[in-house]
Amino acid sequence: MEILSGLANGFAVALDPLNLFWCFVGVLLGTVVGILPGLGPPATIAMLLPLTFHMQPAGAIIMLAGIYYGAKYGGSTTSILMNVPGESASVVTCLDGYQMARKGRAGAALGIAAIASFVAGTVGVLGLMLVAPPISKLALSFSSPEYFGLMSLGLALVVLLAGRSIVKALLAALLGLWIASMGTDLFSSTSRFTFGRLELLSGIDFIVVAIGVFALGEVLANMETQEETQLLPVPKGLRNLLPTLQDLKDCRFAFLNGSVLGFLVGALPGGGSTIASFLSYGLEKAVSPRRDQFGTGVIEGVAAPEGANNSETGGALVPLLTLGIPGSGTTAILLAALVLWGFKPGPLFIPENPALFWGLVASMYIGNVMLLILNLPLVPLFAQVLRTPAFVLFPLILGISMIGVYSVSGSLFDLGLLMIFGLLGYLMRKLDYPAAPLILGLALGAGMERALRQSLMMSEGSLTILVSRPISAAMLSLAVVVLLIPFVGRFNAWRVRAIEQE
Amino acid sequence: MRNPVRTTVLAVLLGLAASQGLAQGFKPTRPIEVVVHTGPGGGSDVLARAIAIMIEKEKLLPVRMQVVNKTGGGAAVAAAYLAEKAGDPHTIGFFTGVWLTTPLTSAESKITLRDLTPIARLVLEPAVIAVKSDAPFKSLAEFIDAAKKNPGQLKQSGGSITSRDNVVRQLLQKATGARWAFISFPGGGERIAALLGGHVNMMVIEPEEAGEHIRAGNMRVLAQVSDSRLPHFPNVPTLKEAGFDVPVVPQVRGVVAPPGIPKQNVEFWEDLFLRLTRTASWRKYIADNQFEDGYQNAADLLKFYDQFTDRMRDILKDAGVKTVR
Amino acid sequence: MEEETRKSGDLWSGLALLLLGAYIVVEASRWEYLGTDGPGAGFFPRWYGIAMGALALLLIASHFRRRPSGQSTVAWPRIRRALGVWLALAASVALFKPLGFLLSFALLTFFIVAALYRRPLRVAAAVALASAAGFYLAFPFALGVALPVGALGF
Repeated sequence: MEILSGLANGFAVALDPLNLFWCFVGVLLGTVVGILPGLGPPATIAMLLPLTFHMQPAGAIIMLAGIYYGAKYGGSTTSILMNVPGESASVVTCLDGYQMARKGRAGAALGIAAIASFVAGTVGVLGLMLVAPPISKLALSFSSPEYFGLMSLGLALVVLLAGRSIVKALLAALLGLWIASMGTDLFSSTSRFTFGRLELLSGIDFIVVAIGVFALGEVLANMETQEETQLLPVPKGLRNLLPTLQDLKDCRFAFLNGSVLGFLVGALPGGGSTIASFLSYGLEKAVSPRRDQFGTGVIEGVAAPEGANNSETGGALVPLLTLGIPGSGTTAILLAALVLWGFKPGPLFIPENPALFWGLVASMYIGNVMLLILNLPLVPLFAQVLRTPAFVLFPLILGISMIGVYSVSGSLFDLGLLMIFGLLGYLMRKLDYPAAPLILGLALGAGMERALRQSLMMSEGSLTILVSRPISAAMLSLAVVVLLIPFVGRFNAWRVRAIEQE
Repeated sequence: MRNPVRTTVLAVLLGLAASQGLAQGFKPTRPIEVVVHTGPGGGSDVLARAIAIMIEKEKLLPVRMQVVNKTGGGAAVAAAYLAEKAGDPHTIGFFTGVWLTTPLTSAESKITLRDLTPIARLVLEPAVIAVKSDAPFKSLAEFIDAAKKNPGQLKQSGGSITSRDNVVRQLLQKATGARWAFISFPGGGERIAALLGGHVNMMVIEPEEAGEHIRAGNMRVLAQVSDSRLPHFPNVPTLKEAGFDVPVVPQVRGVVAPPGIPKQNVEFWEDLFLRLTRTASWRKYIADNQFEDGYQNAADLLKFYDQFTDRMRDILKDAGVKTVR
Repeated sequence: MEEETRKSGDLWSGLALLLLGAYIVVEASRWEYLGTDGPGAGFFPRWYGIAMGALALLLIASHFRRRPSGQSTVAWPRIRRALGVWLALAASVALFKPLGFLLSFALLTFFIVAALYRRPLRVAAAVALASAAGFYLAFPFALGVALPVGALGF
């Protein structure tokens, strides 16, 4: 009952014409910065911060949150069309999204990304509304050993992302771990693998490696020949540009999986949308009857991670609003904004500012609808990008990749690194090493090392802490199960062959 | 003897020099670039943006201030960027203690604050020592005793090993002979979550961050790391009052400019920030965030550098960190 | 043909990763392995370095176990062309500092269109100009995103 009256009041706030306008401005800006690689929500929110001082706090938070979740909608666009991950959370979308585009199904991929974002984004808000307090308690019971379990489970997914050779997939993942450990060690201030460069003291930005290995590697491989076969066919007619009913049916589980996993991982202060998207992709593949087709353009391989990175937003707002604890760069600047406006984010924030909280929740329902209406008509438009002849499209992708990297750090050194990782991406392609495990190792490496060392500090050196706590024990056992999947498959194949031969 | 031409030239030259002196030399003509070493939402970034808003509101500058995030290498990338801008009158940077400690531990970080032009110290951030509200310790002495009884078994969550959190721990450990573990977490949120979840026993936290958790009854403050009691914590003893006479190491924030800028330019910045710290918006900002006004002019700031660096070097050596300078 | 590329590639990439693994383990041995409070900076790198070396050995071993089928035909012209693109790209990044992004990128585009795709020079010039102008309008102009600026001030 309390929730209903709160929500009613919230809609009264959110439906105020001015707030509705700010909500629209927010989601529109979010979509734009989401589409552009590199330029992300934290920088956009920071730029708009001075403007918000002339606004009502409700309108301001509604707009800034709109930028935050709106950016997640746009993030998939360049991943699908150009294999350029717009942000770290859309790296996984490249795997099947870009392959769908190559098969002429760019429209379906973009459409399902928008729909999955809408479904999961709405579920994320529902979660924020209904279960925020218990979830934030659960998040607090999660500590280093549990994070180690989570990261191990994530890393175990390597076997699911492997191509023909598991050995090569593991080697790529280890290369990712190596890159992840570059920089100053948090615990001891030791410089590791910095080659004497001060730019490497804080390590290599994730997006530099992702854009280099995925986008540049792909462009270089495509430019091996001058032939201009229409690489990416675009079907004519609006109907062929949107997902079919069968597609939606195929994605039923992906919607659920992405929504729930994304929300739960998002609520953890040490989680993040990158891990959420990798995990939901892995789960989707692990339970799928057409597991072997993943990576060749399967629609649920787009829906699951895109859903996860959207419901992650609702999850990430849980610790921010119920505890005043930011989990990511974007929530950190939202927290700073709240403080600058004179609020005191913390455990008492929601009870003391019900109108603001419920107004935000209501605006997020409205904003998600706006985003769906905004994004679906863009799908056919964006799909036309692929009609561009190769000699125009490829330089364009190169330019977008370089700007994407430069806009993150403003450093020419990072552009140099981008070149190195572009070459690495090309070589990996030629030598048949899968790129996804490298990115997975990079995304999880630092957090995994940290969690392991923190756990062992907590237990004074005893490894039993990892298996004596129920959540971490459960996740570690799950990781072992995942690692065994390919062997089960191989055993099955062997058994079938044995039976047939008899 | 008299040479009219020469006299005229001399007069014109003198006149020019005089008029330049009167005009105070420097007026910014394009937006000011404010370099910070954290990404959007980080401590320095938030302070820089708040100051930009205040300066605009109080009309202290004719041009806009634009925050530029040069993240990486602790503060090494931002410091190197400022050094590269030598002589540029439209660039300043906001420093913190990290700018002094990173060069101590990383050989790669070659630019120290001494290589840049000091302008002003602005803020000192005090801290409080907090435990979860259901912890058995009612005072800092009780915590220290418990740590003595079980060496290495109590845990503190904090930032990196060079952070102020660990400095406070090192100083207390050295003074009392107690020993407890220090667990690093990269994000402030994770540190608080570790304490609230009961995974660690204690943390050093900024008073503004702790305030709401105390009000909600989740946290208890044992002592404050400052020289005198903070207005919001009138009943909590300072370290000294609690019986632990250790030096108070402040978290410091201030302004520097690139090396080699003209003298009028230095004076312009000094004057601007002095005037800023006298405005009502500034005083409100300091009070809201529970900072201490730490204003120091450029000459005092230079002395502060040495004092801070020497103390940090000793503390880090005690902590077993290799120092390179 | 592709299969053959892959096989000799297995050997060489395996050797490279074996070396990298050894380098990681050697570097890691300089850092603390176990400290008073827990694992040190060298703990994690040592283990993934060892794992990398072991897996690389496995890869090399599997190369020798499989019998090489004789004729080796790597598609060198294609690889040379891709590496040429990469060199042009790297050169344009190196030119960002003196020339700025827009000019340097226009030159790169011109080179790609004219030299690699053999389009008429005026087409190449048009594409180069249009894309540089488009990037200028979208990023520094409309969105306020700074691009590398050269000595000429743009």
